[in-house]
Amino acid sequence: MPEIRVEYQEELEALEASALGGLDLVSAALSRTLEAVEHQDVELAQQVIADDDRIDGRYLEVHQALIALLATQAPVATDLRLISALLHVLKNVERMGDQCVNVCKLIPLTGNEPPADEEMVNLILTMGRQTRALIAQSKRSFEGRNVEMAQDLVRQDDAVDNLNRECFGLALELGDDPDKREWAMTMLLAARAIERIGDNAVDIGEQVAFVVSGLFREFEDASHPEP
Amino acid sequence: MVEPTGARGARADAAAAGSTEAKADLGQGPPDRRRAATMQTRGLNLFYGDFHAVQDVDITIEPHKVTALIGSSGCGKTTFLRSLNRMHELTAGARVEGEVTLDGQDVYAGGIDPVKVRRMVGMVFQSPNPFPTMSIHENVAAGLSLGSGRVGKAEKDEVVERSLRGAHLWNEVKDRLDRPGSSLSGGQQQRLCIARAIAVEPEVLLMDEPCSALDPVATLAIEDLIGELKSRYTIVIVTHNMQQAARASDITAFFNLEETGRPGRLVEVGATETIFTSPTVQATEDYVSGRFG
Repeated sequence: MPEIRVEYQEELEALEASALGGLDLVSAALSRTLEAVEHQDVELAQQVIADDDRIDGRYLEVHQALIALLATQAPVATDLRLISALLHVLKNVERMGDQCVNVCKLIPLTGNEPPADEEMVNLILTMGRQTRALIAQSKRSFEGRNVEMAQDLVRQDDAVDNLNRECFGLALELGDDPDKREWAMTMLLAARAIERIGDNAVDIGEQVAFVVSGLFREFEDASHPEP
Repeated sequence: MVEPTGARGARADAAAAGSTEAKADLGQGPPDRRRAATMQTRGLNLFYGDFHAVQDVDITIEPHKVTALIGSSGCGKTTFLRSLNRMHELTAGARVEGEVTLDGQDVYAGGIDPVKVRRMVGMVFQSPNPFPTMSIHENVAAGLSLGSGRVGKAEKDEVVERSLRGAHLWNEVKDRLDRPGSSLSGGQQQRLCIARAIAVEPEVLLMDEPCSALDPVATLAIEDLIGELKSRYTIVIVTHNMQQAARASDITAFFNLEETGRPGRLVEVGATETIFTSPTVQATEDYVSGRFG
């Protein structure tokens, strides 16, 4: 049988690459966000905020092209599941970008020479690096349609969640200095934003399982946790 | 069971349009009018002379559902469709092996009148084929008139109106029932043929690419009609239009042949939604996705 609908297949492949490429943009944004946190770099934080337009642009561009493909090519079966999943992934990418922006918006609030606690900064940086690994793994699992690798994201996300809780505990122990407490509160918001990026990576993993199996289920149900 | 049956179809043309005598079943008492019939095939093999066209089809066609048969040209889906009401045997040299049942009764069993089968299992063809010299009214009543002629005028008028209403055509033609059927548009002609098929109150309606000669609006009108007709009939539709199968059917059956010259086989059958979102067999996936055709 001759291969047909070649252009459509190529376009779908290109759109997948473009949507997953959004994860590279997020990963870069997160790296710079962590650098801005580490060095209290307000300028770099501003740049991350400005550059989020690129992530939003990627979202709009690929989203529109996927809708056009739905309208004109009537995709079904795996193609349909892939497009549905990519629409979700795009939303996750956009949200991850926004979380980086949220962290970067906090940096000017802490002042030029904040009473930073090194241990807490290091915890947040560790969280950030692990989250970056989660992003990369979500991308690889999608590209390889690797459900096992996608499910493993849950385990790694649990580690990020634990670090987030450690941050919380640390903040409680930082003493009575109002400036330091304010700084710690602000950093807790940053940690929370990074923790949410990890959740988005797990959501992408769930889409991998959907593309492969046709069945959607949450890897972990936060509202009904297993005992 | 082997049942060479080529000679039996002499009255088929009339019967395909709908026959006539008082409503009859296949010999086991009156059919239950509250529900449509279930059709089933077991080990069904179809031949044209030496050519093995369709191999080993086991399928249950459920009542009050629209079952779409899809697959590339030459895969045997139309041949399969025509075997369900014994029209396959009208082709010279055609042969049937295996079993086709209508509510459990073997339609190929000895002593079964193929004309009765074809009245209970009506057919709508690819091109609208109203009888050209007959009026709209006569076309619909053709199946009734072809028989013993015991149907009175009042009753006939009632059946014609009911059938035309059932085919969504009444309002468009009620003032010109004496005009030739061929004066209607293509879409109207096809609805006229559907009215003709349902006038004899079949259990099952077979449709062989009923929209392939129609424009998109007429096509959607027929699809809407199919959706309504399933409340009264079991419907089997052969279509090359994948989106039509997706839109109009509840169950989709994919036929395929491994290579030219080989018999067609039923590859996968399932809920239409499943076939078009998560088919089980790779060949089905490739076909519905348009990767080969």
